[in-house]
Amino acid sequence: MQIKGFIDTTFLDWDGKVACTVFTPGCNLRCPFCHNHGLVLNPEQYEDVKEEEIFDFLTKHNDFIDGVCITGGEPTLQKGLDKFCERVKKLGIKIKLDTNGTNPTVVRRLLEKDLVDYIAMDIKAPLNEEQYSEVSGVRCEVDKIRESVNLIKNSGVEYEFRTTVVPSLHTFRDIEQISRDIKGAKLYVLQKFQPRFAMDRGLRNSRVLSDDDMKKLVKIISCNVDKAFFRGK
Amino acid sequence: MIVSNDSTDAALFVKVSREDVVKWDRKSIVEALLRETTISPELAEKISKEVEETIIKSKIKFITAPLIREVVNGKLIEYGLEEERKQHTRLGLPIYDVDQMLISRNRENANVPHGPEATNLTLAESIKKQYALLKIFPPEIAVAHEKGDFHLHDLGMIDRPYCSGNSLEYVKKFGLSLPNAISISKPAKHPEVLIGQMIKFSAALQGNFAGAIGWDAVNLFFAPYLVGVDNEKLEQLAQMLIFEFAQQSVARGGQSIFSDLNIYWEIPKHFIGVPAIGPGGKFTGNNYEDYIEESQKFAIALFKVYKEGDGLGRPFFFPKPQVHITERLFKTEGYEDFLYLISDVSSDKGNTYYVFDRGETAKISECCRLSFKLEKSDFEDAKTPWKMRYSAMQNVTLNLPRVAYEAGGSDERLFEIITERMELMARAHVYKRNFIKKLLDMKNQGPLSLLSMNRDGEPYYRLHRATFLFGMVGLNELVQYHTGEEMHESNQALKFGLRVIAFMKKEAERLGEKYGLRFVLEQTPAESTAYRMAKLDLEHYRDEALTVVKGIVEKNEIYYTNSTYLNVGVPLSPIERVKKEGMFHPLIEAGSLSHIWIGEARPDPGGIASFVVKTFKNTQNDQIAFSPEFTSCLDCGRTTRGL
Ligand code: SF4
Repeated sequence: MQIKGFIDTTFLDWDGKVACTVFTPGCNLRCPFCHNHGLVLNPEQYEDVKEEEIFDFLTKHNDFIDGVCITGGEPTLQKGLDKFCERVKKLGIKIKLDTNGTNPTVVRRLLEKDLVDYIAMDIKAPLNEEQYSEVSGVRCEVDKIRESVNLIKNSGVEYEFRTTVVPSLHTFRDIEQISRDIKGAKLYVLQKFQPRFAMDRGLRNSRVLSDDDMKKLVKIISCNVDKAFFRGK
Repeated sequence: MIVSNDSTDAALFVKVSREDVVKWDRKSIVEALLRETTISPELAEKISKEVEETIIKSKIKFITAPLIREVVNGKLIEYGLEEERKQHTRLGLPIYDVDQMLISRNRENANVPHGPEATNLTLAESIKKQYALLKIFPPEIAVAHEKGDFHLHDLGMIDRPYCSGNSLEYVKKFGLSLPNAISISKPAKHPEVLIGQMIKFSAALQGNFAGAIGWDAVNLFFAPYLVGVDNEKLEQLAQMLIFEFAQQSVARGGQSIFSDLNIYWEIPKHFIGVPAIGPGGKFTGNNYEDYIEESQKFAIALFKVYKEGDGLGRPFFFPKPQVHITERLFKTEGYEDFLYLISDVSSDKGNTYYVFDRGETAKISECCRLSFKLEKSDFEDAKTPWKMRYSAMQNVTLNLPRVAYEAGGSDERLFEIITERMELMARAHVYKRNFIKKLLDMKNQGPLSLLSMNRDGEPYYRLHRATFLFGMVGLNELVQYHTGEEMHESNQALKFGLRVIAFMKKEAERLGEKYGLRFVLEQTPAESTAYRMAKLDLEHYRDEALTVVKGIVEKNEIYYTNSTYLNVGVPLSPIERVKKEGMFHPLIEAGSLSHIWIGEARPDPGGIASFVVKTFKNTQNDQIAFSPEFTSCLDCGRTTRGL
């Protein structure tokens, strides 16, 4: 698997766990608010991290590492993803997958092979072709997104759906609609948009939502999902 | 300081130290020399005459007693009477220095408060330091300190022991009746009163110790006072306790009390079956284990206060909360939530110190890095917990990189030099001990009357239980110079580091037996010592030091790596750090610590809790703390006074 970044120890990426995070290059979406756009647009600027280096670390420290977070870019585009996960699991370490949900086939396969323990799936917009495509920057097949949502909901593994709330792209109504689209989900997390790092320069000066706004939103979505909260300062 | 030089009778007047002006009398010189030095009466006469001649010839208009003394000292040197000169010397400061000190802030250490109290302390310390180096320690030890072979800490507090671990039970049982105090208080009946007594006693203790004032099992010992107290009141009491400690920065020298609160979630094994003391200093008829609920509630309340921070939401530097992580903790109901709470405080404010007591050990932590393993005799003490009073007498830190420079690559020489240095350091401990003993033996009449007060059959300060500390600076640079690699760079280098510390431990034990004192290794909590030694080595061992010293030489921002730490500048996984640094901890009995830097982002408390549990279960690390950002005050909270 191609890896472009490795954080050997983090308390940030998987709640309750001592985790590592690996970053895979490339993505099939172009979300204007993406803050990993270097990895999406010009991954060649980053040096490859050798798998061996990561497994050396994991082998030495699997008495500490609870889990590996695989993020990107979009990890489901990676050819060696299954193999990588298998190797990690063999060490008794859990896996969290971040995905944009455009590849239900890969998600299904990983679930069937029991290779993931937590899935965090982005929901970019209410599940209709037009809005989804606008917010994700490319034409999107919403059916696939919906398929992923259902797969994950019924998978039995722990999961979260999450949305980065961008004031100029989302209305409160949109967020409420998303919560209806994923109705009954166990956990829905809203993330505060960090304009400074946005892919689209035009967004970099946009306003930041206040904690109060976020709390209001959480309240709005709470009735459609089991649990909701927001992240970000 | 007066006056004229009348040609007829040389009626010179002298301003003397007792605020008086007296007529010149040569005999005063003779008297002083005979009183203070071992010089013969004939020589004293001779010197006094020569001094008189010099002074009169000079036609000076003003003269002070100190100046006369210096002229006499000059004469003593002319006669080659070095020892007598020392006996006759004055201690003091140039007026320029005092002027600077009174008016401008200490530039080297912005953390030292500036104000009349602070400068009083600095002035007093500077004189006591001179006194210590001239009078308490023999020249070879004083010189070794001045050259930077090792560092004698807190010389400006030569007449106090270093730090102390205290028991709230003492205050509960005996109330607050300090020697020389105008009024005495009986044992407290209410928790508020107990808090007040505890803080006042802490302030009094701080006047008798140079370092930290630690309090054991605070939440548990408060518990018998908290029966039936509702949550709101409980939180108020927790606030009172923390704020009162934190805001005592009006105490000695305008500094805070270096206070530590030891906190347990479970009932420590050694307190099970121990009769509890409650309101009025009376036994309640129950044992400590019967108060677990109150004890836990109070622990939670305390951490809620830490989480909130001060009036501006900033962290409290003092009192430091030290939570003991033990096997029993994991068997005590509710520990997950408690761990989450204290980890949340780590993540948000950084306060929590996690002290790992594995197996049968139990520890009392006094300062952020200093903890004492309780020994058999201590477990006996635990049945009468008011007796659980411990202290480290003094801390002497070895400059390790210099040892490597002098050894020039030879293993044999390296260990020889360590032995030589430690022998001298051990003797320094003996001198300090004897001096303090002398003061303690004066009991009520002496300067340490507080420490010699006797309410329970032995003095408050239990000299026979005192520990003496051997610290170290720059193990990493020693290894780097000697082997060519820093300790994080190879296993071999790390192993060599371990060998050095194991050797130091053995030497400390050997010397302890030789002198009949309890000598143990300690991680020196003094960034300024690391700086001082680096600076001195750059002067005296420039070529060698340049190859290993850390920081920026051009800007004079240099340091050696603290104690046995790995290079703090290299990005090292926190996991590697707690594991590798932890390998040294079993050798360093008086406590050691790893710092985990967690950057600016606010990490997930659950992740931190998981890391803590793993550090307990999978490493030998003794103590960890998380620092949201790299600041030297979080690192220690205490910056060493003195050189
Ligand atoms: S936000 Fe995620 S899905 Fe969107 S472009 Fe960036 S990496 Fe791809």
